[in-house]
Amino acid sequence: MINFQGYGPRLLEGALVTVELALLSLVVAVVLGLLTASAKLSPNRLIHGIGTLYTTLIRGVPDLVLMLLLFYGGQIGINMVTDQLYYAFDIDIFINVNAFLSGVITIGLIFGAYMGETFRGAFQAVDEGQMEAARAYGMNPLMAFRRVRFPQMMRHALPGIGNNWMVLLKTTALVSIIGLSDMVRVAAEATKATHEPFLFMIPVAAIYLLIATLSEWGFARLAKRYSTGFGESSEWNN
Amino acid sequence: MAATPIPLEARGIKKRFGDHEVLKGLSLQAHKGDVITLIGASGSGKSTFLRCMNLLEQPDEGDLIVHGEAINFRTTQRGREPANWKQVERIRAKLSMVFQNFNLWAHMTLLENVIEAPVHVLGKPRTEAIAQARDLLDRVGLLDRADYYPTQMSGGQQQRGAIARALAMDPEVMLFDEPTSALDPELVGDVLKVMRGLADEGRTMILVTHEIAFARDVSSQVIYLHQGVIEESGTPAEVLDNPRSERLRQFLAPKH
Repeated sequence: MINFQGYGPRLLEGALVTVELALLSLVVAVVLGLLTASAKLSPNRLIHGIGTLYTTLIRGVPDLVLMLLLFYGGQIGINMVTDQLYYAFDIDIFINVNAFLSGVITIGLIFGAYMGETFRGAFQAVDEGQMEAARAYGMNPLMAFRRVRFPQMMRHALPGIGNNWMVLLKTTALVSIIGLSDMVRVAAEATKATHEPFLFMIPVAAIYLLIATLSEWGFARLAKRYSTGFGESSEWNN
Repeated sequence: MAATPIPLEARGIKKRFGDHEVLKGLSLQAHKGDVITLIGASGSGKSTFLRCMNLLEQPDEGDLIVHGEAINFRTTQRGREPANWKQVERIRAKLSMVFQNFNLWAHMTLLENVIEAPVHVLGKPRTEAIAQARDLLDRVGLLDRADYYPTQMSGGQQQRGAIARALAMDPEVMLFDEPTSALDPELVGDVLKVMRGLADEGRTMILVTHEIAFARDVSSQVIYLHQGVIEESGTPAEVLDNPRSERLRQFLAPKH
């Protein structure tokens, strides 16, 4: 067994933080991505404009800048609001921007924009006749989305989602900057204290690699599931 | 006993796409057991008229009454639209449509296609829906294809499957939008045979078709459309065998 010089438990906790952060950010990113794709395909010009503004802004600014802006700027912004509430209505509340939550929100916001582009293409790849049949048989818009458009678009969206997920996973390392004890931060601290970079950084790299490998396997299974009915038409015209 | 409301009535339907008026005030009444065939050259508006009946297209003017229930419209700055989409969804579930390109849901097996709307839209118990679906697939000759995906079937099989999907809704009226136009000639016969069976058992049907011989056989009423106007309407004998206008005579004349 490798001797992690007492950092073992913290490193494991850090790995857990990384996984939680990545998965929660993914959920936020997927939800935002679906909303963004719908907005960008909306005939309403205002909604379309908001979607475009969001993706342009996010994709044009470095992730780190956004994260610092949200973490520090977010606290100041909330303080300004709560101050106003206090002066105007005598309501005294204090909200502390939690590093984990702002990490989730920032990463979710960033990747929501990329997911939005992925989903937009996938939405458009679904044959309109499929949705028309859904409407014609009395499905409401939500049901038609859930039962027809979503399962059919996933086949087109999965490669992009997989790609975004891999980048997202690695982007979580940035949260160590805003003071979140993910495994990168723990390993960096340990390295500073012990001067043993290989001892800490190689396991960290291995954990990222492990998660990435598991993800690829998972995405391959999902891809198989969502290609049902679109695969090889071996029994055409029999 | 009160008179049963007629399954579908359209009154004065108008529709424009941009500056082009596609439907110029069309009406029809489908009584129980009627088979109404819409014929006309492409661009005459027959498919648009059919699609207005289940509101896949929104008519700019006119009324739709399905089984005695009039659809409510309201006018917004975007134009006229149904006032209550819940009502539209409920009414659409009574009007099954069969599409030119079948539009079976590609990610579901044939059986799943047939039970989808009965289970999820009508709220029918799954086991009951499956039993009914098997009967219907047997009837259209596709019981052995129940677990196939649409891409694994020929066009003719897909269209017969789509008819089974339509029947599973136990519809008030069946709408057929050029059901055989996308099929290879040798596959048309099987689909027409199924449709003839439906006409014989008294299903109320409205269909758009180019199959004049079939229309003559099964229709109770034939409507000839030209540029968004009903030019002739009547029994097959009146419209198809004794056309009054030169244009309809031209339309019916053998092309080759």
